[in-house]
Amino acid sequence: MSLRSRFSTWWKAVSHPASLDRDMQDELQFHISRYAEDLMRNGVAREEALRCARAELGSVDAAREKCRAAWGTRFIDDLRNDLRYAARMLARSPGFAVVAVGSLALGIGANTVIFTAAQHMLLDRLCVPNPGQLRLLEFAEPDNGVVEQTWGWGDNGPNGEQLYSSFSYPVYSQLRQENRAFESLFAFKPLDRVDVTINGQPRALNAEMVSGNYYSALGVRPQIGRAIQESDDGAVGSGPVVVISDRLWKRQFHRLRDAIGKTILVNMTPMTIVGVNPPGFTGAFSAQSAPDIFLPFSMQPIAAPQSFAPHPSLLTNNDLWWVMVMGRIKPGISDEAAATSLNVSLKSAVRATMTVKDDKQLPNLLLVDGSRGQNENVRNLAKPIYVLLSLSGFVLLLACANLANLLLARASARQREMSVRLALGAGRGRILCQMMTESLMLSLSGGIAGLLIAFALRNVVPRLLSDSWSPPAFSARFGWNIFAFAAVMSIVTGIVFGLAPAWQAVRTQVASGLKESSQTSTRRRRGLAGKGIVVFQVALSMLLVVGSGLFVQTVLNLGHSRLGFRTDHLLLFSIEPPQTKYPKAKSTPLYRGLERKLAAIPGVQSVTLTNIALIAHSHSSNIIVLEGNQPDEKDNPSVLTNEVGQHFFSTYGIPIVAGRAFDASDTETSRNVVVVNETFARKYFPNVNPIGRGFDAGIKPLVHLEIIGICGDAKYESIRRNPKPTFYASYFQQKDGIDGATFAVSTRMSAESIVPSLRAAVQSVDRNLPLLDVRTQNQQIASDMQQERIFADLTATFGILALVLAWIGIYGIMAYSVSRRTNEIGLRMALGALPKQVHRMVLREAVRLATLGIVAGLCAALVLGRIVSSLLYGIKPWDPITLVGAVGLLAFVAIAASRIPAHRAASVDPMQALRHE
Amino acid sequence: MPPLANKNVDLLQGTLDMLVLKAVSLGPLHGYGVLLRIQQISGDRLGIQQGSLYPALYRLEHEGWIAGEWGQSENNRRARYYRLTYAGRRRLHAETRKWNEMADIIGVILAATPERA
Repeated sequence: MSLRSRFSTWWKAVSHPASLDRDMQDELQFHISRYAEDLMRNGVAREEALRCARAELGSVDAAREKCRAAWGTRFIDDLRNDLRYAARMLARSPGFAVVAVGSLALGIGANTVIFTAAQHMLLDRLCVPNPGQLRLLEFAEPDNGVVEQTWGWGDNGPNGEQLYSSFSYPVYSQLRQENRAFESLFAFKPLDRVDVTINGQPRALNAEMVSGNYYSALGVRPQIGRAIQESDDGAVGSGPVVVISDRLWKRQFHRLRDAIGKTILVNMTPMTIVGVNPPGFTGAFSAQSAPDIFLPFSMQPIAAPQSFAPHPSLLTNNDLWWVMVMGRIKPGISDEAAATSLNVSLKSAVRATMTVKDDKQLPNLLLVDGSRGQNENVRNLAKPIYVLLSLSGFVLLLACANLANLLLARASARQREMSVRLALGAGRGRILCQMMTESLMLSLSGGIAGLLIAFALRNVVPRLLSDSWSPPAFSARFGWNIFAFAAVMSIVTGIVFGLAPAWQAVRTQVASGLKESSQTSTRRRRGLAGKGIVVFQVALSMLLVVGSGLFVQTVLNLGHSRLGFRTDHLLLFSIEPPQTKYPKAKSTPLYRGLERKLAAIPGVQSVTLTNIALIAHSHSSNIIVLEGNQPDEKDNPSVLTNEVGQHFFSTYGIPIVAGRAFDASDTETSRNVVVVNETFARKYFPNVNPIGRGFDAGIKPLVHLEIIGICGDAKYESIRRNPKPTFYASYFQQKDGIDGATFAVSTRMSAESIVPSLRAAVQSVDRNLPLLDVRTQNQQIASDMQQERIFADLTATFGILALVLAWIGIYGIMAYSVSRRTNEIGLRMALGALPKQVHRMVLREAVRLATLGIVAGLCAALVLGRIVSSLLYGIKPWDPITLVGAVGLLAFVAIAASRIPAHRAASVDPMQALRHE
Repeated sequence: MPPLANKNVDLLQGTLDMLVLKAVSLGPLHGYGVLLRIQQISGDRLGIQQGSLYPALYRLEHEGWIAGEWGQSENNRRARYYRLTYAGRRRLHAETRKWNEMADIIGVILAATPERA
């Protein structure tokens, strides 16, 4: 036996059925005529001979069928017949087909969209050879650890210790020298928003600083030009070179090779482009989004000094831990062994570079999987993604339940057909196959439609997960795995909703099915599966209705919550002047100049700036020393603070309830003054007038601040946080300046019409300063509520969908049950039951089903409510009004849906019903 | 003589394939020729259900043991001729050996006489 011949014969039978058929016909015809000739030679008459020959060969059609089957076509023939039959059945009830395919497409589409996003966030690996060998270095230390200053990612460990993935540059250098367990250790540091000027146009780009061995250790070669190499990462300033991303090359240089050698300004520092990264390479930090420029660490002191550090060079700073370190583990070395040997190096490096006091603990080195980089997205976005996944899962379940219900009803209607088939000798296996073909055909059509929906909406989730004014967190790609996911899901759903109806069809008893007139009153068990599904539907709807009630109220509560400041007609943008040109307090005159220029633009009513934008998930805090307290005391309170411009209170419409706001008399050289909010005044100056009093604040040396006014309470970092004690200082009284500012422009003009003049004004002061994150204050607030709004929209949509499906389900099952019991009902009425009683009997049945579902849904809602309680605002997950409302709504739907069947039952004419039998 | 007699011994289950292979091993044959040859070799003692011949031929071709080709018959008509393939020859040898072994064993068993105590 050979596979080749099997396949080639099978293929011929499948692909050229007509020519095969002709050949077989010829062959058998030849046989008959030869046999007939031989018979005639023996003296049989011609007619008789032909008859005889045909008879002995048997049915030519049957022989042909058997020959085809011998070539392995049985399965495909059956399938083809089943498909044809299924298509015919669906075409005969197009309404059913549309509802079925449509609801499946919705369910599968929603799941595919969310799966696409989830797999990006959970499964994307760095685009480098063998990412599985990469390990990211982290360290753990308790509260009294020796490392006090970190700049980078940090998290709480399982045992209360702190986890960090940053190291000081001197420690990294020593680790790299002493390393034995890794091929090599390399370092990198993501930099958000570096000011880059290309061809005279300033823009803010994300960058990654890399060590000289970064490219060779990762095994990545630029598509053109060269990589950053060891010689670029020597002494400070030795490598004024950058490698740019494929995206930047395409957008700014139109993929021209002469981009290599061009000079661009990075934070005002001229640097030369030496290479272009391969497409798909995202650096070592993130697997989802790629920085646009890569520069060597040797340029950090010149091109990327940081305002918070006392000295521009972080490379010699022993106290600040900020560099991320990764390495490829050598084959054959276990993670434990590598961690142990690195840990020894780490401890000696810490002792060599820092002064370790007796009560301080040394850090402990940990190795974590580096194949996905730091993978922050997973930590930040995992929860919303899981909620979305389960919501879309519910929708698919609902669609399945509804389909199963519809198919069950159809299967009952087709019982006679099944009985006839069985009676004619069809195997139960064949009938099962046929029924499954029908449901799989439905589910695959739904899957294809769903895939199309998902393709159209593939970037919705990434966009939902990031602010409306910034680019999506990542862009979704459609690969074979998405197709596989959709295919598997279609097949599984097809099996899930097809199984019950198919089972029912197979169980059909020939005898009873044929003689059944379908009005028997005793066999109530028949509808059990359908009723179970209806209970399930009601429960699921209950869950979604409660969920949407909670989320919609959360959004309403957030929207109506008192912010304490005016939000309309405020346009925001940020400015982050590079430290290279505006170190420390040098930025203050820049901001002053900008404020003046912006205020002069026609259409601008007032301008202010804030160090930290309002409702932007960010705040600044400070320890204050009240009069009579000692600076070193442990219980000195920490309060919120914001450095603002002179017109902050008028621009934001925050009332001054006592004293005064900042005015022209407050200058760089006058005494330091602050405005505190009412909460601050109430808490720290109870029963006294705080105006004219003061407190000390700041990092050594402390500065005395005098309170000149009290303003109304305003929310600061989030709508969800009630105002805390806060003081507002004026930005030009900050000795070290402020690092970056968000300007708020009050104007009645639209953003589109005024932004060009704003940009022109900024560039007339410094032509290399880009406007960042242009948005309105209302957009800023909406982004704070974005997650809640998504949940509210989705649960509300799904909730309505669920109610409609539940309505259809209850109606279907009751109508079906009434039609089966017509006979029984007729009998009851003949024996004296009143129409009203019959009516009530049907309603009672519906209410019983609904009650079961409602109770089950209520329990599930109470359990699941706990999970989402952190996402709610101003409402408890067991909010009685919501729960009672949902119960009422579902009860109403159940009764409304069963009214028509109940009415039909009550109007049964007993004579007709009984005669029907 | 009637060309195809089928009143004689019925075919043992599962032996048709082997006989067809043997028949075409002696030279390419069309379906009718296969019947004639088997009958001829058996001395008219074995009859084959004509209806089961063609499915068997197709099955053997599917397995790759015989190969069918269209050719000219003795009186210039289009006929499908089957010949044994290399794989078919090996199959025939194996089947023949198995059959002989089986016949031997069964012969021995059937020839056994009651043992004398």
